[in-house]
Amino acid sequence: MSSHTEAVKSHSDIFNGNKRIPLSVIIVLLALSAVSLYGLFNVITQGHTASYGTTKTVPWGILISTYVFFVVSSTGLCLISSMGHVFNIEKYEVIGKRAIILAILTICCGFFVIATEIGHPIRMAIYNVISPNLASAIWWMGTLYGIYLFCIIVEFYFLMTHNHKGAFYAGLAGFIAGISAHSNLGAVFGFLDARPFWHGPYLPIYFILSALISGCALVIIIFNVAYKGEANMPAKAKEALLGIAKIFGLLLGIIIFFDIWKVLTSVYGAPPEKYEAVMTMIAGPLSINFWFFEVLLGMLIPFALILGTKGRSIKAALVASCSAIVGIFFMRYDLVVAGQLVPMREATAGSRVQGVVEGLAQYTPTASEITIVAGAIILCAGLYLAAERFLNLTED
Amino acid sequence: MSNKKYAIILDDTTCIDCKACTLACKTENNVEAGFFSYRNWVGEIENDQAVFPNIRRKFRPSQCQQCDNPPCVHVCPTRASYQTEDGVVLVDYHKCILCKYCMTACPYDARYESHDKHAIDKCTFCYHRLAEGREPACVETCPPKVRKFVNLLDKQDENTKLLQTEAIEVQKPEKGTKPKLYYIK
Repeated sequence: MSSHTEAVKSHSDIFNGNKRIPLSVIIVLLALSAVSLYGLFNVITQGHTASYGTTKTVPWGILISTYVFFVVSSTGLCLISSMGHVFNIEKYEVIGKRAIILAILTICCGFFVIATEIGHPIRMAIYNVISPNLASAIWWMGTLYGIYLFCIIVEFYFLMTHNHKGAFYAGLAGFIAGISAHSNLGAVFGFLDARPFWHGPYLPIYFILSALISGCALVIIIFNVAYKGEANMPAKAKEALLGIAKIFGLLLGIIIFFDIWKVLTSVYGAPPEKYEAVMTMIAGPLSINFWFFEVLLGMLIPFALILGTKGRSIKAALVASCSAIVGIFFMRYDLVVAGQLVPMREATAGSRVQGVVEGLAQYTPTASEITIVAGAIILCAGLYLAAERFLNLTED
Repeated sequence: MSNKKYAIILDDTTCIDCKACTLACKTENNVEAGFFSYRNWVGEIENDQAVFPNIRRKFRPSQCQQCDNPPCVHVCPTRASYQTEDGVVLVDYHKCILCKYCMTACPYDARYESHDKHAIDKCTFCYHRLAEGREPACVETCPPKVRKFVNLLDKQDENTKLLQTEAIEVQKPEKGTKPKLYYIK
């Protein structure tokens, strides 16, 4: 009888959600996410080539970079939350449930976006299993992200049912799978000797670093959303966020350092193809993306805000986080696109290299691509708010 | 272990840019219509330094380099791209998931998306003809005989001997892909 009561209690506890989140906002967001149906309809009825802006010369576009954005966010949330229930830093235990549910939702939205980009998503699921190529970074990335998703779902279940030991082991497994999967995502680009801008060990390392930044920023945002600002926030949550804000600032400083050296080594001595690729960002078609979004919004403003307030202001950290997330979206886009703008062959007469103008390939996302991306982001936000409203994500 | 390793030796100084190779390839392999759907091409080598009357147009016919160390095969997650024992890189269309990783990995931009096959496609050295003892269509059709189809393991073959007797270059040797399209300088 008592175990039945316990079960009922624990059941009602799980679904004791956050009533601050208005149902209307959730419904509006989920309805708005239907904007992606425009892109989906086009791609189903007209095919990928007619619907997307990708070409023979630039085969990967905004859908790939958005996939990267989502999985970077997911990994970051998992890594940041592991400070609490995996590494037992008590003050961060409070972030566990929220971070992990958002990690699950972001990776699912990432999978949705990549499924719209890949020509045969169902075939992928089949042949990844029955015809694996263990030398392929995409195979490892996909497989490890599958394992990672399983681990974080289990972890979330244990967190919700207050099984700390279970959450520890699942969290540890998720941490290891997340690091492995995410560095493999870096390797998808880093292994390509054909593309000097991507090639090398930099990207697998950089991806982990930028994941941590995304994770910090998203944790700061979702806690502000959950409590409708600092005023209603319990002391424990405030303490955790102030700690995260300082880590966020430190990581921003490190990524600025990384970026400076990435740019300098790509410019110094004009190394072939690397130089042309980085110049598309510094003074070429991606320069607004790079200087305004990536550098200013993504790094300098958030870093200045955290530094200026010494990480002691949650409001400043929130503004810094929002700014950084927007910047990071463009960072992913620039990384994916800049690596392909230098064509692999000279576009001379007869060479039929597609879409090259003045030595550089062109890529502009189409309305289909943009609606899929926008829909996925809105869907992710709507699903998170729904989880916040209907599940008890507050740590006792 | 195969006793064959196929390659093509090209003397592009004789190329007249008639594009018969491109047409033959498209016809032989049912390559779909479309300007950017092609397995081989003839690019002009532009020379800004030349001054009249010392000018000469130069063309470079090319295609998949059938690399001995093919990056497209390494990166393919489902082994849709594979290398035969005789060194030809082919695509198993039924396994291709259209992730386009091979397209980003190829330093020669030699692959394209086939809408007929719903897969990534590329030059096969006309593999279906080789079993019949026939040469690839681009080799057979070329009026000035720019391309010579060779078995690198047949050292007695007069054409294979060109690799020893002539100055040879390959495209992007620094990528380590060991291309099997050899150009006589």
